[in-house]
Amino acid sequence: MKPVWIIAKATILENGRKHVFHVLCLLILAVLVGSTLLSIFTEGVKIKMLKDLCMTGILFGGAVLAIALGSSGIPGDVESRTIYPIIARPVTRMQYVAGKYLGTLLTVVYGLAAMGAIFGVLIFAFEGGPDWSLALVMLFAILEVAVVAAVATTMSVFATPATASVLTFMVFVAGSIKIGYFGEMLSKMQGGAAKLTMGVFYHLVPNLECFNIKSVLVHQEVVPVAYLIQVLAYGVICSALVLLIGATRFSAKEV
Amino acid sequence: MIALRLSGVTKTYNPRTRKSRTAVDSLDLEVPQGVIFGFLGPNGAGKTSTIKMVLDFIKPTSGTIEIFGHPCNAPSARSQIGYLPEQPYFHRFLTPLEVVSMHASLAGVGKGEIPARAEAAIDRAGISEYAKIPLSKLSKGLTQRVGIAQAIVGEPRLLILDEPTSGLDPLGRRHTRDLLSQLKREGKTVFLSSHILSEIEDLCDVVAVMRRGELVACGPPDHIRSEAPQVTIRAQRVDESAVESLRFAGATLQAGGDYYLITASCDSVYPVMSALERSGAVISDINTERESLEEAFLRLAA
Repeated sequence: MKPVWIIAKATILENGRKHVFHVLCLLILAVLVGSTLLSIFTEGVKIKMLKDLCMTGILFGGAVLAIALGSSGIPGDVESRTIYPIIARPVTRMQYVAGKYLGTLLTVVYGLAAMGAIFGVLIFAFEGGPDWSLALVMLFAILEVAVVAAVATTMSVFATPATASVLTFMVFVAGSIKIGYFGEMLSKMQGGAAKLTMGVFYHLVPNLECFNIKSVLVHQEVVPVAYLIQVLAYGVICSALVLLIGATRFSAKEV
Repeated sequence: MIALRLSGVTKTYNPRTRKSRTAVDSLDLEVPQGVIFGFLGPNGAGKTSTIKMVLDFIKPTSGTIEIFGHPCNAPSARSQIGYLPEQPYFHRFLTPLEVVSMHASLAGVGKGEIPARAEAAIDRAGISEYAKIPLSKLSKGLTQRVGIAQAIVGEPRLLILDEPTSGLDPLGRRHTRDLLSQLKREGKTVFLSSHILSEIEDLCDVVAVMRRGELVACGPPDHIRSEAPQVTIRAQRVDESAVESLRFAGATLQAGGDYYLITASCDSVYPVMSALERSGAVISDINTERESLEEAFLRLAA
């Protein structure tokens, strides 16, 4: 685990200095601040709009951040040859991929934590007190970016950074509407090759909808603990499996 | 003991396709422990592919590579290597001390020892005064020295250095040469790839020359140089029949006014001298020219 953590630390420092990180964080911040200007609505709707808009911005921004950083980390190291002195050491390729992934994830978590803190302050200002469900919603937002970062990291092993970014974004969009759109479409399809193809696609795309529990924050809905545990386990296992595919491919790849 | 052994190593890129290209062909190489081993060859000779296979960056198509008796991809082998890539690149925002400390940690140096070991390596590379300045503010030559420091920080038994003096000023080159000699005295094995032949000539105990993926020569520089020591004779009054005899004896002649410059290998000196004596030529100068490593390289790599 030691090499993984060393590589992760260097990745955090590297990502923290990338323009894309600062620009995206500023954009999310702009969404948060901009949301407070929605004073044309009545008080009750206003706070719901604020929470909905801010959470959407945080979820989307976090995913874009994970895609941008995840898809460029390993190819960037290979291109700049920073990777060579590292993998010449007793460091396995799997450890290297895991380190890059962990570094990317922690960078995004750092950004999300900062956004979450600002969002918490806004809620406090509008509601006159804290809303602790925000912590739970943020935890699941982190789980979502963990899966997205794993997909981006794995894609970057197979494709160029640009292609990996586009493909991961497509997976993110498809995963975000998996149950509501593709699930319904699949249930309405008649049998045959088209349904089989759609079925394979449906099961390959990770379900990112399940991580979006902003209704807990916006509408104060209650979500069963068993469901939350299930989603938590799904997020961890899904990230690990996707990353395993990338790490296995990278282990056999010539650099 | 053999530090590095390559047995029948072949690397073919894009095998079984039209673009198939063999970069290294059935390479057998042994690098004894405690020597400075020079690895030479023109561009495209297969040096980089060989180094990449040794470091397990790419897999050989066939053959085996061992480092101190361990397969090259085994952690036990990798822990004994220090590697300096050609034109090394590190995270620009880190300082030399941070880079070297990170590599010390990756090399398995204990947490408590890392600061002292990193500082010692930086000191040996001659960049102590730049230890806490971000790499983005350092020159190419200083970055190269950071690369040397990270390569030696784990105190590896085998150092693989690709163009270690590239980008260094004369002082830096001298410092690096001294450091390599010192490392050799400490019992380290240095595998050195360089295009600066004078450096190889001065430093290396054993030299290997690659050409189009094949090993064309391997041995001490003296052996490689002495394969064709040449004698140059300046002679006057060389008649036509003598010219024929000299050419027949394997000498090359260069006319220069009233004299000839006759160049022959040591083996053909006696027939050449006999031919000159028979023709009544006057010998005004004889020189034995020892082939430089550069000349040997040009001959072997051509």
